[in-house]
Amino acid sequence: MEYIGELILIAVSAALINNFVLHYFLGICPFIGVSRKLDMAFGMGCAVTFVLAIASFLSWTFTYFILRPGAPLTTWIWQAASPGTEVVPDLSILNYLVYIFVIASSVQFVEMYVRKFYPALYKSFGVFLPLITTNCAILFACLEIMKNVSGAAPADVWGLDKSLTLAIFGGVGFTIAIMLMAGIREELDLCDVPKAMRGAGITLVAAGILAMAFLGFTGVDRSLAALLMD
Amino acid sequence: MDLSVIAILAAGTMAVLAVGMALVLGWANVAFHVEVDPRIEAAIDILPAANCGGCGYVGCNEYAEAVVLNGEDVTKCTVGGSAVAADLGQLLGVEVEETWPYRAVVHCGATYEDRLGRMPYNGEPTCAAANVISGIQGCTYGCLGFGDCVTACDYDAIHVVDGVAVVDYDKCTGCGACARVCPRNIITMVPFKSEHMLVVTCCNEDKGKDVTAVCKVGCIGCSACTRVDDRFHMEGNLAQISYEDYDPSTLEDSFAPALDKCPRESLVFVGKPTEADLANLADVEVPDRVEADFKTTVDDTEWRG
Repeated sequence: MEYIGELILIAVSAALINNFVLHYFLGICPFIGVSRKLDMAFGMGCAVTFVLAIASFLSWTFTYFILRPGAPLTTWIWQAASPGTEVVPDLSILNYLVYIFVIASSVQFVEMYVRKFYPALYKSFGVFLPLITTNCAILFACLEIMKNVSGAAPADVWGLDKSLTLAIFGGVGFTIAIMLMAGIREELDLCDVPKAMRGAGITLVAAGILAMAFLGFTGVDRSLAALLMD
Repeated sequence: MDLSVIAILAAGTMAVLAVGMALVLGWANVAFHVEVDPRIEAAIDILPAANCGGCGYVGCNEYAEAVVLNGEDVTKCTVGGSAVAADLGQLLGVEVEETWPYRAVVHCGATYEDRLGRMPYNGEPTCAAANVISGIQGCTYGCLGFGDCVTACDYDAIHVVDGVAVVDYDKCTGCGACARVCPRNIITMVPFKSEHMLVVTCCNEDKGKDVTAVCKVGCIGCSACTRVDDRFHMEGNLAQISYEDYDPSTLEDSFAPALDKCPRESLVFVGKPTEADLANLADVEVPDRVEADFKTTVDDTEWRG
């Protein structure tokens, strides 16, 4: 029960309480750029969720096995190369480089694959993929995972399950935010907005009000934790 | 931990990653290669990439695909006009008939002074909203003057002057966005056989008596023009010009009798000014320099609670 509770807590926290867009102000470019029509917004949300899932899987794998201090694979290679030396290899300096490198190339790979074998899917959301390769929301998820893998005490190191939960529900939170925004903007098109506020101005104001509304979720995590951890 | 250890491990990791990813992506590029007809790419290069939707497709890329794969007509690009049609025809080996660029024509010429029975209107300042309400002005066919077409135009080619939409033919590309958005459908796309076209600037289909009750300039359906000139015909109570018979070479003077006969001012030349027009204007004194009229946007914003 405690395990499931922890996962639920991470999920709700990523999707609503610490929403990537409305709490951390990450991924604002697609949030403002592609929120004009509801169906486009949904496609964008799906693409972000998908890329987040891939990115979290890769970044967790690389951080856990190669990059963190005392990572098993790196230690093993070093021991094999020079036996007898007592060192704890730490490749944390490579974190950012490896994340961007690996995520960009794997998204490129997935895009080619989808284009070849699922042309219909490619038409509906494939065009978004190159736009969001390692944008700030995705890099944020990677760094959050890094913080909980290489920075945490050995007992608290996140497994792949928690990392994927964070990423996927972060993506769900992004989808919720961008679709809410698209709905608002479709209504805004029919409104008499003062000239000075038209376009980006009123959109940013609406986003700010939306962020304030999401502030109402603050504290839900504490009561939820009390409920789930008993 | 020794610095050289980090350096060796880091360099090794990056080298392995780089080689690995290069191999995977290189293999994927070959294995997942999608055959794209090279003619589609050539057609995309020819099209103007305005993505205006004037051809009826979502964007230039979709139109290029339709032209190459489904044998769509090559003359549909209104922005590129005959030059693009000729290039596309050459690319695909299709004969292209001579086509005329389509331009927007507003079939209403009544300014605020000419319209009768206008009521104060304080609602949403868009044509779409005003059109729902009856009685905003006497004429139920004519221009409402709130400028939905101005908003729709991507080329800044249509403006509302004295309450009626006026097309700027220097800028109009014929994409038809204004015609699609006009709730009263008074904008049509007309083949411009010359830069100077005669059009009927009225679309009121009511009987003459009803027209005179609501407008000072609208067509009353007297059919005087059809009696002196074959190129006019009546559709209901409204004069129309048959553009099939419209010959640009004999244009200017041959319409004089019809223009003389028209008791209203519904027959109007639009397009670029002719030399005669410019000669008439030569005597008019034009101020040397026009001072910009600075206004804040607040001045024309109507605030309502």
